[in-house]
Amino acid sequence: MSDNNKTNQEFSDVSNVEALSSFKGVNWVGLYTMFRREVIRTFRVVTQTLVAPVISAALYIFIFGSVIGTRIDDFAGVPYISFVFPGVLMLSIINASFASASSALYFMRFTRGIEEILIAPFSYLEMLIGFVGSAVTRALMVAFLILGVGLLFGAVQLEHPILFVLYVSAVSAIFAMLGIIVALWAEGFEQLQVLNTFVITPLTYLGGIFYSVTFLPELAATLTKLNPFFYFVDGIRSSMIGYSEANTMIGALVTASLVIGLGTLVTQLFRRGWKIRN
Amino acid sequence: MADTPMLEIKNLVKVYGRDERRAVDDISFTIEKGAFFGLLGPNGAGKSTTIHCITGIAQPTSGEILVDGVNVVTDYKTARTKVGLSPQEFNVDIFATPEQLMDFMGGYYGIKKEVREKRIEELIERFDLQKHRHMKFQKLSGGLKRRAMLGRALVHTPDLLILDEPTAGVDVEQRHDLWQYLKEMNERGKTIILTSHYLEEIQYLCNEIAIINNGKIVKQGSKEEFMRDGKSVEQTYLEVTKNLRK
Repeated sequence: MSDNNKTNQEFSDVSNVEALSSFKGVNWVGLYTMFRREVIRTFRVVTQTLVAPVISAALYIFIFGSVIGTRIDDFAGVPYISFVFPGVLMLSIINASFASASSALYFMRFTRGIEEILIAPFSYLEMLIGFVGSAVTRALMVAFLILGVGLLFGAVQLEHPILFVLYVSAVSAIFAMLGIIVALWAEGFEQLQVLNTFVITPLTYLGGIFYSVTFLPELAATLTKLNPFFYFVDGIRSSMIGYSEANTMIGALVTASLVIGLGTLVTQLFRRGWKIRN
Repeated sequence: MADTPMLEIKNLVKVYGRDERRAVDDISFTIEKGAFFGLLGPNGAGKSTTIHCITGIAQPTSGEILVDGVNVVTDYKTARTKVGLSPQEFNVDIFATPEQLMDFMGGYYGIKKEVREKRIEELIERFDLQKHRHMKFQKLSGGLKRRAMLGRALVHTPDLLILDEPTAGVDVEQRHDLWQYLKEMNERGKTIILTSHYLEEIQYLCNEIAIINNGKIVKQGSKEEFMRDGKSVEQTYLEVTKNLRK
């Protein structure tokens, strides 16, 4: 401890060096604080962040399970609702992680609260992990609640739990990073919705969340296989019911490539300080 | 061997935008440990930009900034732990409480929970925020907001405290109370940089003063130099800036 630190000691018995010891290496306390803050924010607007997606998912499960599902034969060896449930879950995860990351960061830009992060001892990679981890935390909370609703309706199977956790985390991370990019780019609240409205929602619904690709004509099936969302839902579905319609290697490669590619891009944007650092 | 200065700025340049506006234009100055340094200048002179470059909010275009000998660009993580900032704008989550603001900031600086809680208690008591600790920031008065911002800036006991217009919107009694606290902190050895449009505040608190205008340091010296021939700091400031306008 420097002499200056000794004279600066306005607090009775805690040294500056001791207090700040954890910043050397990874700033674990800082990262935990970012996650904790997002959890507090999630519960501050619990109707919007947790209740709404659960009600929406419950309605999907009820309609596809009890109303339509009872009139449809088992598919891929499982009830129709079990086939559809992974897609419903993915839809909610995507919305939760994208909304969490985009709204949190955009709000911080808008209020200049981002300066709290910029002046703190975070590396650019830690900023990425902090923002993405916070959004994934919210998505996992939503996923957990929807799994609970799915269990009540008998819609949940879990053939490969580790693969399930990996896919859910990876898909959440991908959409959190897209949310970050949109939050950095947007100059108004309306622009926050552009990607969601014109890209994410159409590609999600056309990615086979409610139907099998085998139901489609050949051209449509081929086009679907060019849609990365098809591989996301197929990965989650195969981990839950053990049935896959995609080449699992391609699916894993697409997912991993997007995680790495978007992670690199967002880290570079933070390094450049694009739209956040003057 | 001479002690390492608390802040060394060497040939700092900050250029903004496509029109390449030079907000800070090749400035250099040094602040020794324990100084109370006043940075003056009209609106848009480059005060806040300089502060942003020191703290990491802005990226310097060129030049070098060392905080206690640590480069703020190449070793930014270490440098940032040494600096605390109370900015001009309320750059906070307006739905958070003063206690939460200090808690989150302490967490971002890597301070462990038990240490953080102790410091927050001390700061809440010092800034008389006990009754308002759980109120949302947006519900606080201007003075209480400023006190919460100061608490947030001090939660990690920085070696260098930067106060950008800390008494804007604060009533006279609270301003004097704050001056007393800042003076005490400086007397205990804390280095402080203060920007303010209240020049009596600068005169009362600071022992070193610099005037920045159009991105350049146009005058720098001790308070005594600024108050030579019985002038006040305000009179000297007006003389300097008036000459520049001619």
